[in-house]
Amino acid sequence: MAKHQTSPQSASSQGANSQDANHTLEPFFILHKAQPQATVVEKVSKSRKGRKKGIESSPKSPEKSKRTTSDEQPSNTLYEQWWFKAFNEIWSLIQSSIEGVLRDINLKLFNEVLQWIEDSFSEIKSNVKLSSSEILQPYPLLADTLCRKIPTAFVLTKNAEFVDDIQTFCDLGSHLKANRCHVANMSALDFSLKFGIGGSVRSLLRQLHSEPLDGKIADMLTLAKWYCEEEKNDKPIVVMIDDMECCNADVLGNFITMLSEWVMKIPIFFIMGVATTIEAPKNMLPSDALQHLNPSKLTLGTPSDRMNSLVESVLVEVCYCFSLGHEVSVFLRNYFLRHDGTITSFISALKLACSKHFSLESVSFLGLYMLDQDSEERWSEKFVYLPESMKRCVLNLHSCKSEKNLQGGVGSIVQQLSDLKASQRFWSSVVLCLFEVARYSKMQFLDIFCEATDPKMYCMNGSENSLKKHFRCGDKNSTARSSSGVGSITRVIHTIREMPVAALSNLLDKWNNHTEEMTEINEEVKKLQSVLASVDEGKVYEENLHNIRNRKSVSVISGKRNSANEKVAMLLDAMIRKYMKPLECMTLHEIICFRDVDVLQSGLIGDPRKTIQLDLLKCHSYLSCSCFSSDAKNLSPSMHDTSIMYKLAQEFGDVINLYEWYQSFKTVLTSSSQTSRKRGRPSPASKKAKPLPPSETEALIQARFCGAVTELQISGLLRMPTKRRPDFIQRIAFGL
Amino acid sequence: MAPKRKKVEVEEEEARAQVEVEEEDEEEEELAFSRNYFLAKEVGSASGKRSAARKVSEINLVDDQLLRASLSELPTKHEKEIGSLLESYKGLYSNWLFELRCGFGLLMYGFGSKKALLEDFASSTLTSYTVVVINGYLASVNLKQVMTTIAEILWEHYKCKAKTSTGKKQQTQLPNGLKSVDDIVTFIVDISDDCNCSVCLLIHNIDGPALRDPDSQQHLARVSCCSCICLVASIDHVNAPLLWDKKMVYTQFKWSWHHVPTFVPYKVEGLFNPLILFSSGHVQTTKTALVVLQSLTPNAQSVFRVLAEFQLANEKEEGMHVSELYTKCREQFLVSSQVTLNAHLTEFKDHKLVKMRRHSDGQDCLHIPLPTNALEKLLQELV
Repeated sequence: MAKHQTSPQSASSQGANSQDANHTLEPFFILHKAQPQATVVEKVSKSRKGRKKGIESSPKSPEKSKRTTSDEQPSNTLYEQWWFKAFNEIWSLIQSSIEGVLRDINLKLFNEVLQWIEDSFSEIKSNVKLSSSEILQPYPLLADTLCRKIPTAFVLTKNAEFVDDIQTFCDLGSHLKANRCHVANMSALDFSLKFGIGGSVRSLLRQLHSEPLDGKIADMLTLAKWYCEEEKNDKPIVVMIDDMECCNADVLGNFITMLSEWVMKIPIFFIMGVATTIEAPKNMLPSDALQHLNPSKLTLGTPSDRMNSLVESVLVEVCYCFSLGHEVSVFLRNYFLRHDGTITSFISALKLACSKHFSLESVSFLGLYMLDQDSEERWSEKFVYLPESMKRCVLNLHSCKSEKNLQGGVGSIVQQLSDLKASQRFWSSVVLCLFEVARYSKMQFLDIFCEATDPKMYCMNGSENSLKKHFRCGDKNSTARSSSGVGSITRVIHTIREMPVAALSNLLDKWNNHTEEMTEINEEVKKLQSVLASVDEGKVYEENLHNIRNRKSVSVISGKRNSANEKVAMLLDAMIRKYMKPLECMTLHEIICFRDVDVLQSGLIGDPRKTIQLDLLKCHSYLSCSCFSSDAKNLSPSMHDTSIMYKLAQEFGDVINLYEWYQSFKTVLTSSSQTSRKRGRPSPASKKAKPLPPSETEALIQARFCGAVTELQISGLLRMPTKRRPDFIQRIAFGL
Repeated sequence: MAPKRKKVEVEEEEARAQVEVEEEDEEEEELAFSRNYFLAKEVGSASGKRSAARKVSEINLVDDQLLRASLSELPTKHEKEIGSLLESYKGLYSNWLFELRCGFGLLMYGFGSKKALLEDFASSTLTSYTVVVINGYLASVNLKQVMTTIAEILWEHYKCKAKTSTGKKQQTQLPNGLKSVDDIVTFIVDISDDCNCSVCLLIHNIDGPALRDPDSQQHLARVSCCSCICLVASIDHVNAPLLWDKKMVYTQFKWSWHHVPTFVPYKVEGLFNPLILFSSGHVQTTKTALVVLQSLTPNAQSVFRVLAEFQLANEKEEGMHVSELYTKCREQFLVSSQVTLNAHLTEFKDHKLVKMRRHSDGQDCLHIPLPTNALEKLLQELV
């Protein structure tokens, strides 16, 4: 029975299989040890054979001859290195940008926490001065008449999903460590009933000690000894618990009570993340533990604020080396809004998109040079050594097919690439201008981003007639203001029309910075700034009039103001039309633009519940065999047994009568084989079948039935019969 | 079989399985809650019609050995097509490797055994990694042993590196001194940054019986986010994603899902699953009981026979009093003392041949949990 499962594909390597056969029943084994890199490279290149279009032939590049000595298909390995290098560099740029954004957004809170710790610590130090021997003295302490309360900061995370805040707490920990604090970053796992308070203390010590405990007893005295060591006792100890509500209340309560006994000797601070309300600790912790806490409240930023900052810095500012197509952007927006609303899931989706882009697009590595100042030179150098096949890859890109200029050679490709880079810079400048308005009106940046990447919108803008149609909603006389019917960009333009002078002036200041590269627009911005300055002078007068509530008399000045607003709106409109060309409308955009939304979706969301059922119901689409061609919907004996069984199971309700199921299965296997014989087109299974005695035929059918039921059980689609109801099997999954 | 007779049988069975009734009732309750109103109604109607429903025993079941033999020799349908399907996945190996290098974990799903596919991928493509394979479909997987092996692999590299470098962290504990899985995992996490080796953990059925518990998944998740360890895993159960929370999915495992249906039979994975037409019915129970009884002493067999004959003669009785059994056995010189009888009874109880039950008169009585026809057959064969 312990026969190893051999697939046809692996059947060729019988030697390996016989060895594997021994391993199938071993709980674990080492398949092989790492081989030296040289042999690895060769093997990998063989496995990649024929993966990508146009890169089968080996390039005759000088780089290749340097890297490998053999001429045997080394190209793919070389390309792999390029792709991986490009991914690594670009992703590390994006990642550092993400980290920077998240750190900046939390910096205010971090400094608040630090200030709170420093104040409390200096207060404790001024009240209690203990020598090492006093600290190490067993409890009770003479000075212990003071209230034993641990200063505790409850950080409201405002986020039902905790996963986003893990990184925030890590960053807070690093920030505090860098500012003279001992930090222990603990989680709910350290406060489980399984390990009890011993586990909590051990974890605390392990984090504080830079070295392993080496069999030391994990108790408070060990902590006290450690704290008495030189250069350690002048810093506070900060214990951070990121998801306080997930901890076991009793264990945490005991931990607090125990630390409170020592708080006069060892200055301990708690920082606890609370996902719900400030009432949560009161409801959760036992009262004796609660009385040892001296609470204060701090609040984190909301996920949507963080998302806005991320979109701005990652998707727009770094967009010239890797960007997302419109469909992917819309998918990611929906994934964020409808899936779980966490930044973490968004970032992991972005990373997957980035890796898919570099692994699937053969010329994606060219995007790396977008980062360089001297991109054109780098591309020219690269193209000299680039093999013909790869150059063909560039020319075969979908966006290049209609572009006749590109046939001119390397020069024209490089020119197009630098145009692409410049266009992306302009695009990002305009989008940043849009974001400035959105920031004022508290709109979601992601919505604007999605609209700004939409090539259809640009095509509409391109024709003058449709342009008016598109922006009609943005017209000041329009009453259609519902968010559902109006696009985000249109709403941005609306917002400008209603902005007060001061805000408009601030906006223009920021635009001035963003539009530095677009000289024509920059000049217009400056002109408008001077216009607004003149309006500003009348502002005080206007405000006085406003108090009198004589609207008619204001109209002169507000009319002037409105005309300024209108001019700003028109300027933005012009900027959008001229410079906000979505990436997908550009030639060679495939090099930096990831557009394959299906690939991303399938990599991100597996949905095995639906997919495994579909596999069984549509096995003919995977196993393209001639026997399915006649009528895929009808059950034929040559079909996969489990597939037949699952299709038959669809006809039953919540429970399946085993007898009836078996009889239906038997009917499919026997009667249909007779019909196929009549038709004279035997299935692969019946070809091999020799006439068997009835008992053996029955045994074969029963064996197939048993095997299929087992497979369905492994897939989790069935629940085996209970002793009370031995003749029925329960179905688990219903519908897709 | 007449419906009346069936009803009696069902009643008998229910009476016998009193001990198990409670847990099954829980299951029923769970079912009623888990499904909606209409399906609950359907279950009700199904159980109402149960007496009219056909039984598995009505199938002309073949001999167990023949069934097993047929199963092991079962030809695979569409062998050629499955082969070409697997061959088509070979083109994706390099993409999978790329994703592994980018820091993702590969999670393979889709119908069919993925064991051969993943091992082929590992052998042909992951040559620069030390590949540790875990057969998660086996209930005997011991995660501590696995973690110890990984720790040893890393420790070897760590020692080599420490020798060449300044010898920092020399005092780090050896894997041998580590006690719990948690300690070993912490050790792996601690030294992984300083190891210049790559280990790939290939887990067949990360949703398998031995790895389904939250602790195992936590340990795997912690190990998977080490810089020198990457994870390739397969799942087969439709509800497998419920094993992980968001922290595990996004920050530790970092799954990249790959749909790779293979339609290769789950031969190894289903090796220890009981066969539906094999374990059900009383045929199997009788056979198992016979095997156990034949391994006992003739006296023990005779004691069992006394009990069985009593049960057949008094079908309506709840069971035989222990004292009554003792008297009868003593009369037939089968046992000399209560101690000897108790020894036999313990043996029976251990093998679930006999169950103890509280008689309505308050005394303990003995009962064989087999239906009458099965018991008759057993006595015939127990010569």
